[in-house]
Amino acid sequence: MIEIILNILFLFIFPFLFIGLINKTKAFWAGRKGASVFQPFYDFVKLLKKGQVISTTTSQIFAIFPSLVLASVIFAGLLVPTFNHRAILSFEGSFILFAYILALGKFLSLAGAMDTGSSFEGMGASREASFSTLVEPAFFIMISSIIALSGNYSFESLSLILPKSGELGYLIVILGVIVLFIMMLIEGCRVPVDDPNTHLELTMIHEVMILDNSGPDLALILYSSWMKLIILASLIANIIIPANLTILYSALAFIGIISALAIIIGTIESTFARLRLTHIFEFAFIMSSISLIILSLTVISIYKGD
Amino acid sequence: MEYYYLGIFLIFIGGLLSIPLAEKYKAKFVSVFSGLGTFFVLITALNILLKNLTISKSVYLPEPIGKVDFIIDPLSAFFILVISLMTFIGTLYAIGYIKPYLNRNKVVSSHFFFLNTLIVSMLLVVTVQNVLAFLIVWEIMSLSSFFLVIFDNEKKEVISAGINYLITMHISILFLIIGFIILAIKSGNLDFSSFREIFASSNFISNAIFILLFIGFGIKAGFVPFHTWLPKAHPAAPSHVSGIMSGVMIKTGIYGILRILSLMSIPSIEISYFVLFISIISAIFGVLYAIAQHDLKRLLAYHSVENIGIIGIGIGIGMLGLAYHNTLIALLGFLGGILHILNHSIFKELLFFGAGAVYNKTHIKNIEKMGGLIKTMPYTALLFLIGSIAITGLPPLNGFISEFLIYLGMLHSFEINSPIILIVSVFAIASLALVGTMALLCFTKAFSIVFLGLPRSEKARSVKEEVSPIMLFSMGILALFAFLIGIFPQYAINLVKNPALVLLQNQQLPVETIIPLNIFKIISVACIGFIILFIFIYALRSFMLKDKNIYSYKTWDCGYQAGNNRMQYTASSYASPFLSFLKPFFIKEFNIKKPKEIFPKEAHFELHSHDIFEYYFIHPAIKINKRFLERFYWIQSGSTQQYILYGLIFLVIALAGAIGVK
Repeated sequence: MIEIILNILFLFIFPFLFIGLINKTKAFWAGRKGASVFQPFYDFVKLLKKGQVISTTTSQIFAIFPSLVLASVIFAGLLVPTFNHRAILSFEGSFILFAYILALGKFLSLAGAMDTGSSFEGMGASREASFSTLVEPAFFIMISSIIALSGNYSFESLSLILPKSGELGYLIVILGVIVLFIMMLIEGCRVPVDDPNTHLELTMIHEVMILDNSGPDLALILYSSWMKLIILASLIANIIIPANLTILYSALAFIGIISALAIIIGTIESTFARLRLTHIFEFAFIMSSISLIILSLTVISIYKGD
Repeated sequence: MEYYYLGIFLIFIGGLLSIPLAEKYKAKFVSVFSGLGTFFVLITALNILLKNLTISKSVYLPEPIGKVDFIIDPLSAFFILVISLMTFIGTLYAIGYIKPYLNRNKVVSSHFFFLNTLIVSMLLVVTVQNVLAFLIVWEIMSLSSFFLVIFDNEKKEVISAGINYLITMHISILFLIIGFIILAIKSGNLDFSSFREIFASSNFISNAIFILLFIGFGIKAGFVPFHTWLPKAHPAAPSHVSGIMSGVMIKTGIYGILRILSLMSIPSIEISYFVLFISIISAIFGVLYAIAQHDLKRLLAYHSVENIGIIGIGIGIGMLGLAYHNTLIALLGFLGGILHILNHSIFKELLFFGAGAVYNKTHIKNIEKMGGLIKTMPYTALLFLIGSIAITGLPPLNGFISEFLIYLGMLHSFEINSPIILIVSVFAIASLALVGTMALLCFTKAFSIVFLGLPRSEKARSVKEEVSPIMLFSMGILALFAFLIGIFPQYAINLVKNPALVLLQNQQLPVETIIPLNIFKIISVACIGFIILFIFIYALRSFMLKDKNIYSYKTWDCGYQAGNNRMQYTASSYASPFLSFLKPFFIKEFNIKKPKEIFPKEAHFELHSHDIFEYYFIHPAIKINKRFLERFYWIQSGSTQQYILYGLIFLVIALAGAIGVK
């Protein structure tokens, strides 16, 4: 019971800290002192208190999509294992529900962007939809390979790679981390795929989709995109931490890895430039290729005796 | 069984009696009869389906048909359920849809006769177990649907689509005839049940016949590369007919494949991989070409190809399970495939009806000219949205459940100790995921461009009101079904359990202990929880906004003060980044008129994407065929005398033949 409560607290509180830490890192690289780590939370509360400007072009879709996106991300969060390697909702094939419930949120957010009739937002929606076609198959190849390897059909299989396979397991873990990290950059809209701080509409992807949202709706959208980052970060942490660690160590390692990921993202954002849009497809393809390597390693590791 | 015949008789009589009636009353009259007929048919079907019975009746027809067995087992009963229910909803929708066509010198007169003939022939196709009788009702089905397709026969493209459909269907029946003749000669009997021994006798013959029949049934079902008739026939037909054809009629092709499977005890491994491969190709290319379409109904037609592919993937996984003697995989695959048949008929009818509602009000087919319809047609928009989410396979709607079953089947195939099946399954999983995300791209495009934003043309702007309540009602029922199956999957699985057992050749298998049913209970609770969570967040957000200032302002246009509806993103531009990435799979035809002079007066840009299968497979085949047939042009000389001579020659030959036989 206490673990479930901690899980939920983690899911709701850490998104703020994660973004705060990313911003702190960026401030460090820029030589600034930077805002407090809690600043995202203050922003969130401030947005919630505000009124709204609603475009006359929009319909009900525009009003409901932020709530639905947040609901879908929270729901996806319940399916993902956190510090104790156990998800609140865990069953055979839960990763399919995870991917599809996130896709439901994406469907409505794309429709919400198109609802404004703005060409900028249409552009963002079109790009987001196109890039995600490459992410999902790669993710599915990776997870199903790991499932084949570990013999566990839920997300818990992620942490079973090392206990179930020998030296090849380390390689699979490293490659899996790379795949999930790229997925995190694409789905979470971070540099080098997308720049959350840019102010030129023509080059944006996710940020341009929400140009017309304001007030509480914007707060919900921002919160859900931060939560999405933390969910993907927990997947990465789970793949690194083996299941046979004691709960205290694995919780500590978990917090450590999450913080490290925030610092890495912040560092990448301070030191790398954005990719040209046409190159993002190629970047996303790296995911598929690495997933295929994971598949072949899995086949080797299962059938090496034959 | 008597109720079943009574139901079929009522539906047929309804169609027949509608011919002399005044046009205004036809649809209502027919739907009363269809409703009654459907009721009787459904009683029988549900009874058999849920109680896992098999009933049969033999009828003796004059030679050469002889004894005809009508057998309803759970597999037939499942198809009867889909056919009768979905066609009845289609008939209800037709009451509203047909209105603008009344008294305009159209062939409404016989339309409902053919509609009900189609329904009756489909109901017979899934029960008849005699080759000759089967082929006859199959042909009646093709012919009656041909007359339904050419409803709008004043338009040239409708006639050409109809002819294309007619020819394709006859190529299909050709393959069926060849396959069945081989079976009938080998067994010396026309009954389906006598073919079991032939399939069991030799692997080679069984595979060869299966492929022949698969092509024949696959043309009807719309597997790639035999799908080219779908995107032509569906846009040409009126919407209730496209809904019925796409939602129900093409499933008779799937029925044929499943029936043949039920006669084969265990399919060979090669044939299972063949079905899986064709299905994956169909699913991917179906949705890929759908993304490039601008005509809403054409887009939906390509999605039928995709969904037939998904059904096929389920069947393929089921066959692999049988071939590798793994009951769990076989069960999951078949359950998923069969449930997807029901699901597809629900959301595809819903979407076609939605497209029909839009066409009814705007009279445009090109989605680039639509937009903003959610303001004037909010209910249609909501129902179309539900259909779109369902077809994309997202929870909490029905499409997710069947895809989830198929995914589970593929995941469990890892338990078979073979590297090949592991690699194939992982690729199949990735393909299904790819198809899902592409469908998401396609339906966000279709829904957004048609219903959201500002109207892109005068016709779209001039829409004043919703479609008639009866049309909304029939779509609403379908949306309700989509929700019910999505939220209570455990009961839906109960519905498809017995048909799947027919394919496993084991009626007494304890399904509950084999498949992990509790997952679906979790999903059910989770989906309800998700909906509550969403409502809670939305209520909280609305509460936050209660006393706040909410301004209405125009959409942010980057400071540019003259934004208008033509500056919105179009369907082509929405799909462009993805399609340009997949250039090799399209043959593109540009039609550009560049702006000239200092003050350009007009510019024009048009882009059409062609289907590579049609271009490289169908067209060359037609060309070769044409070259051959050109040599017989001289027969049709146009002179009456010559034709009389032909008749005479034929008579003489026939007489000589008759005497010779004596």
